[in-house]
Amino acid sequence: MADSSIPVVIEGLTKRLGRGVLAVDGLDLVVQRGQVVGLAGPNGAGKSVTLKILLGLVRPTSGRVELFGERIRPGAEVLGRVGALVDGPGFVPHLSGRENLRLAWRMTRGSERTTGLDRAIEIAGLGQAIDRPFKTYSHGMRYRLGLAQALLGTPELLLLDEPTTGLDPAHMREIRDAIAAAAASGTTVVFSSHLLSEVERICTHAAVMRAGRLVASGPVSELRGGSSLEDAYLSLVAGEAPADGAQSYRHASVEG
Amino acid sequence: MIGIELARQWRRPRTLVTFAALASFTLVLTVALAASGGDRLQRVGDIPLFVVPDRSGIAVAVIALASTMKFFLPLAVAVFAGESVAGDAGWGSLRYALARPVSRTRYLLSKLVVALGFSIAAVVLVPLAALVAGTVAFGWHPFTAIDGSASTAIHSTIVTFASGAALARLGIGTAYVAAGMTSIFAFAFLLSTLTTRPFAAVAGGVGLTIVSRVLNADYLPGVAVLNHWMPNNDVDLWQHFFQDPYDTTGMGHFLALQLIYAGTFLAAAWWWFNRKDILT
Repeated sequence: MADSSIPVVIEGLTKRLGRGVLAVDGLDLVVQRGQVVGLAGPNGAGKSVTLKILLGLVRPTSGRVELFGERIRPGAEVLGRVGALVDGPGFVPHLSGRENLRLAWRMTRGSERTTGLDRAIEIAGLGQAIDRPFKTYSHGMRYRLGLAQALLGTPELLLLDEPTTGLDPAHMREIRDAIAAAAASGTTVVFSSHLLSEVERICTHAAVMRAGRLVASGPVSELRGGSSLEDAYLSLVAGEAPADGAQSYRHASVEG
Repeated sequence: MIGIELARQWRRPRTLVTFAALASFTLVLTVALAASGGDRLQRVGDIPLFVVPDRSGIAVAVIALASTMKFFLPLAVAVFAGESVAGDAGWGSLRYALARPVSRTRYLLSKLVVALGFSIAAVVLVPLAALVAGTVAFGWHPFTAIDGSASTAIHSTIVTFASGAALARLGIGTAYVAAGMTSIFAFAFLLSTLTTRPFAAVAGGVGLTIVSRVLNADYLPGVAVLNHWMPNNDVDLWQHFFQDPYDTTGMGHFLALQLIYAGTFLAAAWWWFNRKDILT
């Protein structure tokens, strides 16, 4: 089903890393247009690898992965419609934030039109510091620049891996607001986090992964089931949760 | 893509330091020659060739090229090639460069072209800077050398080249040295796709240079059979261009060897990089 209107379709995705470790194990996930999906799960659950597979950085061992109906391979055309912040920001240290964004913009669009670039600089909100070398930036400034790069050219799908890790509450709020603003303007967002309050606050849907498998997914309100999302999450990821145990929670997709 | 890569690399402190170090080496060499021994015969290479530096700036360029081709230039080339892809991985920008509608082959090509351009520039810079410094110090004169291989205890074979002819031979020699760097370049470039630590890739390129040096009959009697199969050993054959008539024996073999080494390493780099999982 190559439906170009569905941002993310993952079917039976498996990734075996070195030494036979299954980082992702039979994952099924569908993200519909306009959803803001929080990918939750303990460290090592396979969230980050899943996002890297979506970006064509990591090859799946088996399974089908499509973005907007196009099968993902390294350098797939559809990646031009995707913005990403994975494993933290990565920029050329001796160039300024502005130069870094300009180069990223040229790489994405192959031109130096400044519309979109100005908008990204505005999102980064670095003021005068935008012209200082990247290596002088604080942790929070780096993340803001990273998010600004992800939002360059108004992507239709935003893939963010722990976008608020290690940030202080004020910076966390800024990043969250930027994600919420992107979502409000119609961008589909998938972001991984182990901060459930964050998922609860800005996501319409959540998917919980554990040991490379999806153990639950659905609208946040449904998953919560009256208690806090944290309680629901902890009961999901706790215990042995063998394959058959996980099956009962498993949904084919994020519906609703 | 190449323009973007150039913009990212050329102002790197490492790039500038490498070029500055090579240029200042030629200055130090010129000053040292002027301060002592400028008027005495200097031995260049294993042919051997003897030159009197203060007779011509061109002699300084010949000495500079001969004294950098076995370590400084391979080091510079290993820096440019080794830093290329691994530098991006180290900065964390590799994943963003590749999570785009750009094929990995194209990305690798832009890295290759820019690193290769810097490497060639480094090789050209040395004789060029030495020529300028040498000419300022010793003037612009025909180039005179004593061909040690054709000389005996009682008879010296003195060869003199007009400035233009000497320059042409220096140019061909420089091209030969540049071509002689390709195996080390390609090896460091391959390592650069394998590791996320630029230093490891650079060290690997330097390591290959050292292995090439050590597996040499001069150091290890008995490995003479390997001499002409090492990636860097015959890089000095260009000095034969300053004999008259000159002898090109071994040059074709060396250039073909570069092609084989470089082709193998670059093909391996391409093959691996297109299959690699970018996890960092």
